[in-house]
Amino acid sequence: MAVIEIKNLSKHFDKVKAVDGVDLAIPEGELLVILGPSGCGKTTLMRMIAGLEKPTSGTISIGGLNVTDLPPRARPIAMVFQSYALYPHMTVFNNIAFPLKAHGNFSRQEIREKVEWAAGILGIEVLLDRKPRQLSGGERQRVALGRALVKEPKVLLLDEPLSNLDAKLRASARDELQRFQRRLGITTIFVTHDQIEALGMGDRIAVMSHGKVMQVGTPQDVYHNSANTFVASFLGSPGMNFIHRGNYLLGFRPEQFVPQEIAENRDDLQLFPFAVTRVEYLGAEQQVYGVVEGSNEGRTVISSMSSETNVKLEPGETYTFAVQKQQLRFFDYETGVCIETQPL
Amino acid sequence: MEETATIKKNWTAGLRFWSDREELLGPLFLFPAILYIVALVGIPFMIALAYSFSDVTVGNTSLDFAGLQNFQAILKTPQFITSLGNTIVFTIVSQIIIIVLANILALILSEDFRGKWFARFLIMLPWATPIALGTIGWLWLLDSKFSPIDWTLRYLHLLGEPGALLGAQKNLFYLGRVELAKASIMAIYVWRMLPLAAVILMAGLTSIPQDILDQADVDGASFWRTLFQIKLPLILPIMSIALLFSLIFTIGDMAVVYVLTRGGPVYYTQILPTWAYYKGIESGALAEGAATALFLFPVLLAVAIMVLRFSRRTEVT
Repeated sequence: MAVIEIKNLSKHFDKVKAVDGVDLAIPEGELLVILGPSGCGKTTLMRMIAGLEKPTSGTISIGGLNVTDLPPRARPIAMVFQSYALYPHMTVFNNIAFPLKAHGNFSRQEIREKVEWAAGILGIEVLLDRKPRQLSGGERQRVALGRALVKEPKVLLLDEPLSNLDAKLRASARDELQRFQRRLGITTIFVTHDQIEALGMGDRIAVMSHGKVMQVGTPQDVYHNSANTFVASFLGSPGMNFIHRGNYLLGFRPEQFVPQEIAENRDDLQLFPFAVTRVEYLGAEQQVYGVVEGSNEGRTVISSMSSETNVKLEPGETYTFAVQKQQLRFFDYETGVCIETQPL
Repeated sequence: MEETATIKKNWTAGLRFWSDREELLGPLFLFPAILYIVALVGIPFMIALAYSFSDVTVGNTSLDFAGLQNFQAILKTPQFITSLGNTIVFTIVSQIIIIVLANILALILSEDFRGKWFARFLIMLPWATPIALGTIGWLWLLDSKFSPIDWTLRYLHLLGEPGALLGAQKNLFYLGRVELAKASIMAIYVWRMLPLAAVILMAGLTSIPQDILDQADVDGASFWRTLFQIKLPLILPIMSIALLFSLIFTIGDMAVVYVLTRGGPVYYTQILPTWAYYKGIESGALAEGAATALFLFPVLLAVAIMVLRFSRRTEVT
C-alpha cells in the first residue's frame, strides 16, 4: 500500500503554475527521487507534502490520512533542508531534541535516550555538545538527519541535502545516505537537480518539468526508455542526440553512437555519415562533436567514447558512425512523446 | 594653447598621483570627522572632567584642584540624590517597556499585511520629530486644564463625575502630581525610542533565514516556542545593540524633562542632566554641575562595554 498518495495536486502563484496536476503514489520504504531543473516545481511539491505550502487544488494523504489541510506539525513527516537549517544558537543535542521537546509528550529521560539513539545511528555522539558553527558540512548534514529521524516520521523529505557538500564528500555522502535509508526502511522523498544523485540513489525517479511529472520509473527505465524528449535530453550528460526525420525525431544516446569499426553487433546497425567538428578530451573519455550529414537542421550530435579507443578522429573529416538499431528511440516531432519503432 | 594643454595634462597627472596615495587620502578624508569629534565632544568632555575636580564657579574661573570635594558635596544634596534615583528608575523602567513593546511591534510589522509600508512610516514618525518639538506636543496633550486626554476620559465617563473610575475631579493634572509626572516622562521616553528599537529588531527578525522558521514549523514548534526558543535568541545580539542605543539616548537626554516639567513639582522629577544644567549653568556652580553630569559616566562606559561584548559573544552564524 502506498504511504503517500498525491492526487491531482496543483499550486499556482498568481499566473505561474509551479505545480500543475501532479499524481504520485509512493509505496512504503521506497526512496523516490524528484528530479528536475531549477524552477520545475520540485521544491514546491515537496513543501506541499511537508505542509509549508498550501495547495491550490488536489489532495495529499500520508499513511491513509488526508493531510491536505493539516499544518506541518500535524503531519507524520520530517524534513531536511538544503541549508540544513540547524538552529545556530543550540547545541547539537538541543537541535536533535527540539522536535521531541516541541511534541511535548516525552520525559527528559526519553528525550535523552532518543537523541542518543539517533546520534548513535549517524555516528555523531561526540558532537552532541558542539554548536553548529563548529561542525563541518558533512557533520551538519548528519545532525540535520538526526533531528529528522528522532521523531520517527513515516516519511522523510530531503531537499537537495547533498548540494552543500563538496564534490568529493558528495560521493561518500550519497552512498551513506542510501545505506542508511535502506537500513531504516523509511519512506523517503529526495529532491534534486543532480541526475547522478537521482540515478545512483533512487528506487524510482519522478522527472519533473514546468510543474508536471514527465515520467516516473526506475533509473534504468527513465534513462533507457525515456517517455519524451525532455526526459531523454535531461538525463545523461550529455543528453540524448536527436535527428529530425519526417514527422518524428530519432534519438540515441552519445555512448551508443560510435565509429562503425568499433561498434558491436555488426549485423544490426544503423549507419550515419558523421562530420566531426571538434574532439574534446576529458581524461577517461572523449566527446566528439559533429553533424550528421543529410539531417536537415544541422543539429550538433555528440558521441562519447573511451579516450583509449584506437580510432583516430580529426575535425573536418567525415566518418561513418553507427548505432545499434534496438537502441534507437523515436519521438513525435510535434509533441516530443516517445512513439513505437518506425521503419527507417 | 600648447601651454594650457601641458598644464592640464600635469594637473590630471597630479590628480591621478594623489588619488592613488591611499596612505594620504585616508587620513585626509577622516580629518573632518576627527576634528568634529575632538572639538565638539573631546574638548568639552575634558573641560567638564577638569571642572569636576576643581573649585571653578561662574564668579571665580581660576581652576584650582579640589579633589573629590565636588562629588562629596553633591552627594549630600537631596536634589542630587533624587535626580540620580530618577535617572536610574526612568531609564530602567522605560528600557524594559521599550524592549517588550519593540519586540511586539517588530513581530507585527515583520508580518505581511496591507498598508504595511504606511504603518512603518507612521511608526517612524516619533523618531523623526525633533525631541523638543515632540515634547512640546506632549506638553499640550498633558495640559492641566485643556488636556485632550482628560477630555477623552471625561467623554468616556471615566473622569469628572461622581463615581467615575479615575475620580470626580475635572482634570488629572499630569504634570502637577509627582507620580503622574514621572509616569508621563517615562511614557515620552518610550514614545520616543520605541520606533528606533522596533526598526532595529525588525531588521533582526527579517534576517532570520526562512529555512530556520520552516524547520521549526516542521519540527512541530508552536508560535510561542518558535518565538522564545528560536526568534528571540537569534535576535538577542541585535536586541542588545538596540537596547544600548536606546539606553544612551535616554540617559543623556535632558530635553524631555526640561520642556515637560522643568524638574517639578519642586525637584521631584529632576534627572542628572537637567540638575547638572540648573546647578552648573543657571546657579553658576560650574564645578558641581560638571561633577553631576559626569557622575554616571563610569557606569555608562562599563554598561556599553558589557553590552558590546555580550552582543559579540552571542552572535551566531
